[in-house]
Amino acid sequence: MKIATKCFAVPFLWAVLSLPALAAPLPGRLLLPDFSALGPKATESVSITLDAPLLATAARFLDGGDPDQRAVKDMIGGLRGIYVKSYTFEKAFAYATADIDAVRKQLATPGWQQIVQVRSGKPQTAVDIFVFQVQGESGGLAIIATEPREFTIVNIVGAIDLDKLHKLEGRFGIPKLPSTAGAGVQNPAK
Amino acid sequence: MSEDLDNTLRKALRRVDPGEDFTARVLARVAAEARSESSGDMRSANRSVSRLVWLPVALAASLVLAVVVTYEWQARRERAGLEARDQVIEALRVTSEKLDLAYQIVNSPPPSRTPDDAGA
Repeated sequence: MKIATKCFAVPFLWAVLSLPALAAPLPGRLLLPDFSALGPKATESVSITLDAPLLATAARFLDGGDPDQRAVKDMIGGLRGIYVKSYTFEKAFAYATADIDAVRKQLATPGWQQIVQVRSGKPQTAVDIFVFQVQGESGGLAIIATEPREFTIVNIVGAIDLDKLHKLEGRFGIPKLPSTAGAGVQNPAK
Repeated sequence: MSEDLDNTLRKALRRVDPGEDFTARVLARVAAEARSESSGDMRSANRSVSRLVWLPVALAASLVLAVVVTYEWQARRERAGLEARDQVIEALRVTSEKLDLAYQIVNSPPPSRTPDDAGA
């Protein structure tokens, strides 16, 4: 009887103790506000939610024999999620900046480090790039880009290799950066 | 009391002449039952044959259904996979576009200062 109780109690206790861990968001994952109400107002919108299982599915449909698709496959191999919200409007500031600020607040928590902060006066453009570090290794990336008529939030969870992303430039419509990309980027951490 | 019972039994079990047509009736009854049994066998045989005809039809229908369901499941899986692949590429395009925007701002020439700005 005692053995049976122990056999049942141990897995039960383990399951109960692991519940908070399951419920906790992934390290490097941001809780993005629900921007669905902006959809009708936007002239263009991109809302992408790719969790680990969907990324795995996508990887299966990338042709390993094709160099371009193989590069994408390699890049997403270590990722656990990609989340993108991008809205473009006809009128300036049709979106609530409070929603963007709510995301910025999450990036002020430990683990996140801002690597790029750029501001431009005309038009009022701001781009902030953050990386999530786990024991010195990249565990995620966040980009917040705002302009009067559009905003974009990108959250990539997992080991993102910017070199691999750089290799994708010029493929699939991904803009090609000059080879000196990043050389002149301001680094607020320094 | 006992005699009454004996008499009653005797009366009940007395021999009775079946009549002249008894044999004919028995033979007619036997022939009728034989016909009935034979038609029952036919019906049973017919039922077995119809079952044998429907069995391959049912098997074929099940096979076709299984193939259709599997095909539809695979088609859906493929659609979901291709959609996820396109979303990955779109997400990487947006990410790279914003990195490019940051690069362009950093590398854009600083606004030229007018004499008013310099406080002259």
